[in-house]
Amino acid sequence: MSLTEWWRSKSWGDQRWVFMVFFSVLLLHCVAILLFTSGFLLTRTELPHFSHCSQVSQSPCGLPVSSPQSNHENVTCWTKPAVDRIVIIVLDALRIDFVAPSTFFEEKKPWMDKLQVLHKLASDPESAARIFKAIADPPTTSLQRLKGLTTGGLPTFIDIGNSFGAPAIVEDNLIHQLVANGKRIVMMGDDTWTQLFPNHFNKSYPYPSFNVKDLDTVDNGCISHLVPTLYDDDWDVLIAHFLGVDHAGHIFGVDSAQMIEKLEQYNEQLEKVVEVLQSQSGKGGLHENTLLLVMGDHGQTINGDHGGGTPEEVETSIFAMSLKKPPLPIPSEFDASSCKLDLLGRKVCVSSIQQLDFAATVSALLGIPFPYGSIGGVNPMLYGLVAGTWKNLEEGLSQQKVKEWMQNYAKVLCVNSWQVKRYIDVYTASSVIGFSIDDLKHVEEIYAKAVNTWSNSNSNSTSFHATSSFDSLKTQIDLYSNFLSSVAELARTKFTEFNLRTMGIGFGILFMSIFVHLLFIVKVDRVHKDVFAPNETSPVSFALIVSCVLVAARACSFLSNSYILEEGKMTSFLLGSLGVLSLRHSIMRKKMILEATTFILIISILRFTIELNLSKQGSNEVLDSKMYVADVAPLLPLIILAYMLYKSIASCKLVLKLVITGSIFSYILVALHWILESNLSNMTHPIYDVIKGNVIPRVIYIMGITQLLSLVVFRFFEEVERAKWGETTMMKGVAMLSTWSSTLMILSGRQGPWIALALVVGGWMISRLKGLEEDQKNAKIGVLACYSSSVTQWSLFGSFLFFCTGHW
Amino acid sequence: MKDKKKGHNTKVSTSGGVLSPSKLLLSHLICGIGLASSFWLAINVYSINLIDNPAETLRLVWLIEVPVVILIYSLFRKDKNQSSYLKAVARGLLGLPIGAIINALGAIALGAPIGTHYFQRTLNWSLLMSAFTFVPAACVYGSSWADWQQTFVHTKLIGIMDYMICLPAHGAVIGAWFGAWPMPLDWERTWQEWPICVTYGAIFGYLVGMLGSICFVGFCVSRQHKKGD
Repeated sequence: MSLTEWWRSKSWGDQRWVFMVFFSVLLLHCVAILLFTSGFLLTRTELPHFSHCSQVSQSPCGLPVSSPQSNHENVTCWTKPAVDRIVIIVLDALRIDFVAPSTFFEEKKPWMDKLQVLHKLASDPESAARIFKAIADPPTTSLQRLKGLTTGGLPTFIDIGNSFGAPAIVEDNLIHQLVANGKRIVMMGDDTWTQLFPNHFNKSYPYPSFNVKDLDTVDNGCISHLVPTLYDDDWDVLIAHFLGVDHAGHIFGVDSAQMIEKLEQYNEQLEKVVEVLQSQSGKGGLHENTLLLVMGDHGQTINGDHGGGTPEEVETSIFAMSLKKPPLPIPSEFDASSCKLDLLGRKVCVSSIQQLDFAATVSALLGIPFPYGSIGGVNPMLYGLVAGTWKNLEEGLSQQKVKEWMQNYAKVLCVNSWQVKRYIDVYTASSVIGFSIDDLKHVEEIYAKAVNTWSNSNSNSTSFHATSSFDSLKTQIDLYSNFLSSVAELARTKFTEFNLRTMGIGFGILFMSIFVHLLFIVKVDRVHKDVFAPNETSPVSFALIVSCVLVAARACSFLSNSYILEEGKMTSFLLGSLGVLSLRHSIMRKKMILEATTFILIISILRFTIELNLSKQGSNEVLDSKMYVADVAPLLPLIILAYMLYKSIASCKLVLKLVITGSIFSYILVALHWILESNLSNMTHPIYDVIKGNVIPRVIYIMGITQLLSLVVFRFFEEVERAKWGETTMMKGVAMLSTWSSTLMILSGRQGPWIALALVVGGWMISRLKGLEEDQKNAKIGVLACYSSSVTQWSLFGSFLFFCTGHW
Repeated sequence: MKDKKKGHNTKVSTSGGVLSPSKLLLSHLICGIGLASSFWLAINVYSINLIDNPAETLRLVWLIEVPVVILIYSLFRKDKNQSSYLKAVARGLLGLPIGAIINALGAIALGAPIGTHYFQRTLNWSLLMSAFTFVPAACVYGSSWADWQQTFVHTKLIGIMDYMICLPAHGAVIGAWFGAWPMPLDWERTWQEWPICVTYGAIFGYLVGMLGSICFVGFCVSRQHKKGD
């Protein structure tokens, strides 16, 4: 019988619509989930490429200018180095209003104006210091921000890359470039850095960042090492990451005494740091050409939360101070800062910078290659702040000097743009979901225009440096800046903005599938009524109301972050409530009291074991070698159960028998696997080397697939006996369950067998308890009321078991 | 149906003859005052409160509430002919630990934390819950399983006495259930810990249940009077 014939055959005819309904629900769900996730899960592919010094020859910019005046410049890489050393002090969750004077804001709040030392330096005409308002990109969580700052990209929560689980950055990044170019790095503070860059630091003093309630450990660690390290000469880049403000925000909020205390402590420490740096900044001193950066990685809301994209969360700050004298004003064309008097009447200027630009700007200042995946541009204000980017420091400020600086800057931007262009080209070519063609074309045009102007002005005049006019330089710089900002904008829409339209459509389709479900239920209800209960039925029962209320409560709980975090406890609570209610019900009916009690007991025991395991993990107890007995024990009843199933199947159904046999065999293999896993370390026989690893799991997976296939094939050759539909459905369900069970068991780890046993027992109890409703008053209840409580129990039990498999 | 109910009512009122709405009001009032005075004592005399010293406060509250409940409800024991007042008191005392165990098991099944740190709190909380739910029934019904089942499982309430036991007990349990809802929120308040907000919920539910039973009984009686006229 061919497939189409079979499809048309009458024996199956009225089942076709059932099939169609289920198939359409499945299809709707798949489409909806696909659409929703494509809009919601922002993904980015990490490229494995790295920038090298030599690659700059591929750019249209020519070799970096090495001026005859500079005496210490022998090696130039992509740009001319402008600073020798950098001190980066990261203050976690530093809001802009912690740094900028209160006069910049509508209202003076108690936490403002606490970092007085920064105001003093920024207003001092003798020092080259400036406050920047740094705009971070969401997600504003520390790990993602540190990644963004060092790679110069826009990390998403899901970066497709080589690092499964481990947070270490495998992409090209600032720290990698520093190490590759012989810079020595000292790190102190938040241990996230050592997780991200496990082998990069010459010296590191990491402190655990995990305990949010601890305001001082990390900070005190930093403080004890920071000032002594400043006197050492064995590093080029120092990173100190303070966490106190972030933790104070999380626990007490921004408007709290603890926060102000922390800020005052930082003010004191920064004063000390600046004092040391300034005392060593004379000619030939340790910090003659050092750049000090005090920066936040992200902001925080008044309650101390961060992670999202609200202005409070993304607005952080960078304070930059170059110690090389004398300071020079940036050409006014590029100086987009606003200046105001602070409370003491000093003039303080605040400029603006994108955090995205940080990696590129710091790379340009240090003269190292820009990270491969960086899409930021070199910020003119931060770049121009550093005296080393100027030539002929001894002369006074003249038009000629400004022009020279602009030439240098244009050159840097040229390299910068070339590198960004290279990245987006390679990204589009190699990632699954690249940029859209239209956007790329637009960016391409801008870049071509900029490069054209550049090569024209270079070829037109034999001596470019002398003749290129001020205006043409400015146009050139504007063209490159335009290109860089349009790339940044493009990348932002791609990596940081949810696609609300696809999300909405997906959600709508998902909603529609509910109506399909309802339609189906109503139809089945009618059929059911015709067959079983011709007389009037009461559609509403107590159990139905309770189920609806619980499901609604569970649905509403997903609107709150806290309930989502505690979802495991939440499901156990609701499931326990249902269990208690069904116990009450069973006492009322005076039967199945044992089943209801067992059900409650299973829930309680599972919860006990989870909490016990958690407390054990917390105390890092060494696992006993005999532990596998406990892991394997539940397999015995499962095997016995499967054997009983095997015995009960009629001998004609050979395929089913084979499937069950396969399951029994798989269970034995699972047990073997765990026993071997626990003893493998002290066995040396060569045969164990073969078994070691994934051989047994693979065998189990293959068996599972074979079982599934044979079931499907068997389905086509089976004669449908309409009289026994209940039995056949049951049979199919059990066969399917036994097919899946072994695979799921091995996937869910050591507690797998326990969970499987709990599932079998709990499921049995639920289906038994359904009997409570069923034969009440000779099935006068409709389908909806009859199945509601057991369906709710099933769904809650299912998610509860999921949380039991180590997701608590 | 109506006749049957009426018959029951008259039967209870004649056979018992002990419980009039005014007595119900009075006994509920005394229970409520007992509860209030225990809290007053805790705060003003021992200077402890539920939020900072949950275990100690709960202990004080049940130590005061249990005798009050036992002494009052034993007055209304159902089998007046067979058992004495003292016997009813003894039944109440016996019911206290049994009820506490059942309440504690229920709480643990629904997710109450376990461990030595919480043992004292759970113990004292379940003793208090027992005083709200189990002890009154134990005093009144004794070992009559049929009465228990009628009140707590079928909730077929016949006499005033049934209302007096059933509504506050259900109120306390349901209140405790709702009281657990703020616990997972990340507000970081001490009162979110087990069993502080659950206790608040239970007490609130208990009070509402008492009020409900008073209203219900008052309503029924006034209707009866009207019918009688």
